[in-house]
Amino acid sequence: MTRFIRFVGGLALAASLAAPLATSASAQTDLSNQQIIQGLSGVTNDDPSLTVELLRKMAQDAVAANKPLPLDKSEIAKRLDKLAQITVQIQFALNSSIIRPESYETLGSIADALHHPILWNYKFVVVGNTDTTGTRAYNLKLSQERADAIVQALVVVYQVSPERLQALGLGQEALQVPSKPEDPINRRVQIFNIGTMGPMPKAVTNPQ
Amino acid sequence: MKGIVFGLGALLLAATAGTASAQTMSYAQAGALIAKSCGPSIERFCSKVNIGTGQVMQCLMQHQDQVPRACFDDFAAAQASIAKRVAAQSGSFKICAPSAQEFCSGVRPGDAQMLDCLLASTKVVRPACKQVLLDAGWAN
Repeated sequence: MTRFIRFVGGLALAASLAAPLATSASAQTDLSNQQIIQGLSGVTNDDPSLTVELLRKMAQDAVAANKPLPLDKSEIAKRLDKLAQITVQIQFALNSSIIRPESYETLGSIADALHHPILWNYKFVVVGNTDTTGTRAYNLKLSQERADAIVQALVVVYQVSPERLQALGLGQEALQVPSKPEDPINRRVQIFNIGTMGPMPKAVTNPQ
Repeated sequence: MKGIVFGLGALLLAATAGTASAQTMSYAQAGALIAKSCGPSIERFCSKVNIGTGQVMQCLMQHQDQVPRACFDDFAAAQASIAKRVAAQSGSFKICAPSAQEFCSGVRPGDAQMLDCLLASTKVVRPACKQVLLDAGWAN
């Protein structure tokens, strides 16, 4: 648990340190397979009451009611913060859900982690987030399309089982840095571990 | 001089036949290879086609005369490697079952505990199991 929090903190720090130096095109968070596995395997933090449907509804309600953006982290972001997770930067074409080739490798790294036996029996939510540039409803829609595109690529190109993945667009409803809503650092893809697919298999025994 | 040539030959032999190595690349390497060889063509000719649709290759074919040959070769190689790695990963359980039964009795599978046991027993596990773990990308 502590290790996990420290890890995420380190990542966020690395990202915020890198952002002022890098242009948005090269701000790809370069994560090793091991780092991704580590970030996604803190399963003790599993929250069974937190479903994709619930999160989607929270985001849609916030947009429909045009709730003012909280100065602190939103309720959605707070609940998600508790799950095992990683944050990656995926480059998309402007205002579109087309994944740019420079991000194929990052998607592959995610696939390497998801195909590893440590994570084999777990399922995940791929969450797309935007900053506050553009309208709130448009951001919600675009982020859903982008999350869908990532899941589709993981399934079709990298052959991750579709049953293990769900896509969720949260638009600008779960800002990483609420004090800087227009900062591109808020544009990010998060992957959360949301629990096991089924019971773990039984031990093999030597038949004699 | 002869000695050097012989030495080189032996070295090459050792590199190709001596130590086992993975016959697949990682998914990240496969993605990087497609991006490197096809990225510019994809951005130029297929900028409206998402990689996850599985239609990118078809689109590139429609511009065959303008897309470098290496793109088609590397795209195919990356896809073949991905397929091989997926097969190794899903086949590993069965292929390693005899070794698991022999050396990892009582280990509860899940959270990679079985893999850890097999890797710790790498000197004794059967060659087919060792190779499938290499191709799966789970052993070095």
